[in-house]
Amino acid sequence: MADSSETGEGTGQNIEGERPEPEPETVTEETTTHDEGVELERTIGLVGGLAIGIGTMIGAGIFVFPGLAAYQAGPAAALSFAIGGVIALLVALPASELATAMPRSGGGYYFISRSLGTAGGAIVGLGLWLGLVFAAAFYLVGLGHYVVAVLDEIGVALTLGPIPPHVVLGLIAGAALTALSVGGTERTAALQNGIVVILLVILTGVLTFGVLDALGVFGRQSVPDTFFSKGYFPVLSTAALVFTSYLGFAQVATVAGEIKQPSRNLPLAMIGSVIIVTVFYAVTILVATSTFGADRLGQFGETAMVNVGRDLLGLPGAVLILVAGLLATFSSANASILSASRSIYALSRDALLPRKASEINLKYGTPHVALAMAGGPILVLVATDSVEILAEVASFLHLVMYALICVALLVLRRRDPDWYEPDFRMPGAPALPAIGAVASIALIPFMNGASIVIGIVIMALSYGWYRYYAPDIRLKGDI
Amino acid sequence: MTERPSVLVPIRVLEDESLPEGTTELLAKAHVVLLGYHVIPEQTAPGQARMQFEDQALSRLDAYEELLVDAGATVDQRLVFTHDAQQTIDRQIAEYDCLAALVPRALAAVEDVLVAVRGTVGLDRLARVVGGLFADRGIDVTLYHVTSEDESDADVEVLLDGVIDRMDENGFDTDHVDTRTDRDVKPVDAIADLAETYDVVVMGESDSSLSTFVFGMPADQVAERFLGPVLVVQREPAADPEASDADDQP
Repeated sequence: MADSSETGEGTGQNIEGERPEPEPETVTEETTTHDEGVELERTIGLVGGLAIGIGTMIGAGIFVFPGLAAYQAGPAAALSFAIGGVIALLVALPASELATAMPRSGGGYYFISRSLGTAGGAIVGLGLWLGLVFAAAFYLVGLGHYVVAVLDEIGVALTLGPIPPHVVLGLIAGAALTALSVGGTERTAALQNGIVVILLVILTGVLTFGVLDALGVFGRQSVPDTFFSKGYFPVLSTAALVFTSYLGFAQVATVAGEIKQPSRNLPLAMIGSVIIVTVFYAVTILVATSTFGADRLGQFGETAMVNVGRDLLGLPGAVLILVAGLLATFSSANASILSASRSIYALSRDALLPRKASEINLKYGTPHVALAMAGGPILVLVATDSVEILAEVASFLHLVMYALICVALLVLRRRDPDWYEPDFRMPGAPALPAIGAVASIALIPFMNGASIVIGIVIMALSYGWYRYYAPDIRLKGDI
Repeated sequence: MTERPSVLVPIRVLEDESLPEGTTELLAKAHVVLLGYHVIPEQTAPGQARMQFEDQALSRLDAYEELLVDAGATVDQRLVFTHDAQQTIDRQIAEYDCLAALVPRALAAVEDVLVAVRGTVGLDRLARVVGGLFADRGIDVTLYHVTSEDESDADVEVLLDGVIDRMDENGFDTDHVDTRTDRDVKPVDAIADLAETYDVVVMGESDSSLSTFVFGMPADQVAERFLGPVLVVQREPAADPEASDADDQP
């Protein structure tokens, strides 16, 4: 097992005089062990890890983006998703290697702060928190659209004054989810696993039918379309937009400290979930565009898949997709809020945020401050109702982290410190991680100007926070 | 000379579950694996709970350890933050190869012990626990068996004599052993009813089957009805290499 006792310690203190928590002594397959016989049990298995990855990702890619993507890129939107999948895989590989070397909670933040230093870590860590906040807001707006669509289906048209109904519903859902995370002690993980299984079953069914239909098995005419009907550039800008569909695998790493048999389960869960969702996304877009043609699909907006389901299977198809869409956007938002809270904990543990931020509520045993630091900004962002900006900023902040994860791998492989003993070594280094870093950054210029500006401002503020709050903290090599 | 049987004592240390009255006397001759654990909801990282509660939990555990040591026990102490109490308890039992786990409850004094003998499996471990904990202390033990339909009285006698022999080997004075059998009763009910006149119940962990899956382990059912402490003798650990895989104790 990765014994890591011969490493340096986090040093320095922040302006409140707090120091980084000492790191644990050993990491075993089942526990993280501190001195004096204090252990942290690992309780998430492979299925749980896959469910976190898939559950976070699939909400966006299948249930929100197809209409928007087809509108922008035509049938070639499938290629946009494939590009996103390839980049995600290029990052999932180094992330897996780093995670097996450092199976600690905090994910990308942890890897980068330990290998590249505190400044990079702070930018990525605060960026990860806010990136997840943007992502959760995006999922909640999507959830609002699905609730509106459900109400529409049963003949209820909401009018809630000047604010669009899906925003109000998204806000309610966001507030409810945050409250539930603070006060609920039910076994949410089991629920999450169940939701993901149901989703995959529904999708496999509908998509199988759709593929057969597209191949003409049922003798219907599918809509012929030119693949690059909108040209080549939109394929890349759409790839940048829909990359939000690939953020979930990194969330597996944020709970790396709780995954059983991390050397086996972390790589399987991260790489596996990327491959699974990429296949689902590509098939979904192909089926959706062959059913309606990209132009009509684009007009259906966020809930375009409901129309696809209806066209393929009639009312039951629409109902299935509605149910799946609700579950998927809900589970994505939920997973993002919890991951955001974990990121805040990781930062607070290292004294980059006040220790108070990870305080646990004595009544419920939940981190109410961290959850509020996730839920509060999420509500503000939901209120903006700008799906594309929310998605792109989330992607921006994650892409920066992804690029740095690749860089961290290259640096660690070259420097090869004593403590760096990954159980999983990615193939193709240094070429593949280098390509992964370049590809991650290369996606950013294809975004909206506003998204890029917001992303850069957040990074600058994160760096400013680090300089102001904790300039003396040293985390490099503190494993 | 007998070995000290290792007994797991799980305590939900931060939920005001303390070492119950009389436990120190009960386990005076044991090697106690004192497991303080704290179950946290899934929204919370175990490390987060550790940051906040470690000191408080450790100081309580240290106090319990001192009481146990004063009474004569040897103690290993662990503190675990977990999402899943059962997994944690099972893992500790495996890592320390505990012969028995205690359902910790208060008791006045250890004078009469009820030992439920189920079948031939695990008798050796049962006798080691009873002999190791209760020998030479003037404690009376009653071996109790519920005879099933396909067992003859002779079978039962052989079974119980076998236990007595093994207890003898483990240093237990057989003058203090009594036996009792019943027919046509439901074992769990019978044990729970009979237990009321005893201070402690010792019984085996049963194999998991569909009925234990639905109704819970018999030991748990007895523990639920009997208000005193129950020592659950653990099965022989399975001899697969997986189980000892993560075994890297100091």
